[in-house]
Amino acid sequence: MHVPDGILPLPFTVAGYAVSAAAAAFCIWKIKQRGDPREHIPKAALLAAAFFSASLIQIPIPPASVHLVLSGLLGAVLGYFAFPAILVALFFQAVMFGHGGLTTLGVNGIIIGLPSLLSAMIFHMQARSANPSKGRTALFGFSAGAIATAVSVALFILFLYYTIPPHLDATVERSAIITLGLLHIPVIVVEGIVTALVVMFLRQTRPQLLAGL
Amino acid sequence: MNGHFIQHQGGSSVLARWDARLRLVALLLLAFAFSAVTQLRTVPVMLAVTALFWGLSGLPFAYLLRRLRYPSLLVLCMAVGWLLAGGKTVWYQFGPITISREGVHAALLLMARFYCILTLAIAFLAVSPLLTIIDAMRALGIPFIMVDMALLMVRYLEVLKEDIHNMNVSMRLRGFRNKAWSLQTIKTKSWLAGSLLLRSYDRAEGIYKAMRLRGYGRQVKREKPAPSTIDWGGLVGSMAVVVAVFWLG
Repeated sequence: MHVPDGILPLPFTVAGYAVSAAAAAFCIWKIKQRGDPREHIPKAALLAAAFFSASLIQIPIPPASVHLVLSGLLGAVLGYFAFPAILVALFFQAVMFGHGGLTTLGVNGIIIGLPSLLSAMIFHMQARSANPSKGRTALFGFSAGAIATAVSVALFILFLYYTIPPHLDATVERSAIITLGLLHIPVIVVEGIVTALVVMFLRQTRPQLLAGL
Repeated sequence: MNGHFIQHQGGSSVLARWDARLRLVALLLLAFAFSAVTQLRTVPVMLAVTALFWGLSGLPFAYLLRRLRYPSLLVLCMAVGWLLAGGKTVWYQFGPITISREGVHAALLLMARFYCILTLAIAFLAVSPLLTIIDAMRALGIPFIMVDMALLMVRYLEVLKEDIHNMNVSMRLRGFRNKAWSLQTIKTKSWLAGSLLLRSYDRAEGIYKAMRLRGYGRQVKREKPAPSTIDWGGLVGSMAVVVAVFWLG
């Protein structure tokens, strides 16, 4: 779900940077409103690094194995820190592995970062009840993970779908992109299940982690 | 970390001696200019500029080939898709396969843009330690929250990767086997991810205390040496290339 360099036209990549910069500025403003953010930076950085490492865990879904994205879980645990953390992680992925790109950093920030913020909102709706039940936590965890991945897949598909060069006969290309999207349905379900299971695990072992930073 | 992912090589090359702040700005300008290329006549210019900067980086060509291997997969798939997408001017048709002038044009442009931008990024970034690049980002005005997170992530990514490797080995030694479509496998992998989060959270508490003791959060003004005339000259030269690329289209 990372758009590489060279695919999107310039207006898209520039607009991607503008939207991502605005979203990061908004998140940083919200973080600073809660007092000195320095206390939370090590936690956010190490948790983000843990997500980055955990995304290397492979889940076998025949005929291949999939890597987890965990953006829903990241949003649920990091809250407003999630978006800046994702931008940093995307930069590292682009320069270390060539996964994603430099010009598409903003667009990839939108694809993975904005759904992560959405999942943060979804997950923290469960905190409205004083003592959420196990089932409620699992349900909100599943929703946060599955919805974040589904929205990311939808945005990725939309970006690819609408940026095919206009002079090409795009029928085959568009069918391939839609097939690619449909192939992600098992991944969306697995992301939801993994997020629900991790959230349940954290609820039992360290519930303060689920309160957000 | 630096040794594993970004191999800091070519330490005494021309590109490595270029001020990291201006080098980053030049890289972004060139990358965006290359991403805007829509005419095949501009491709030789892009290739020449990329080859020039690769030469100035002093990095070995084998290193570039190694770094390009993985990212090439997705782009080659897309290029083949665009190549076979068909267009108005059909050059070759065999059954359902149609190769058109527009398809070849689009696929060549896609590959040229992708490989030139990626090669430039490797040349510009791999000649310095990652910490120098992050420091340059701070100097360019990236918010301290993101810069500090980046520094800590760089510091601890290798540690966490080692953790996850050890945890995987322990699981396998206890008889865990990766089974497809198994809820038990998903459950075990989820707990693995959860344990990694817990370890990181606990480690972060200690790190924060240690950082506070070392003065983290106090305002320390560090004077950065101003870029030299040659550094500025490099940026002006890159901007001239950017203008030329936009002019050619």
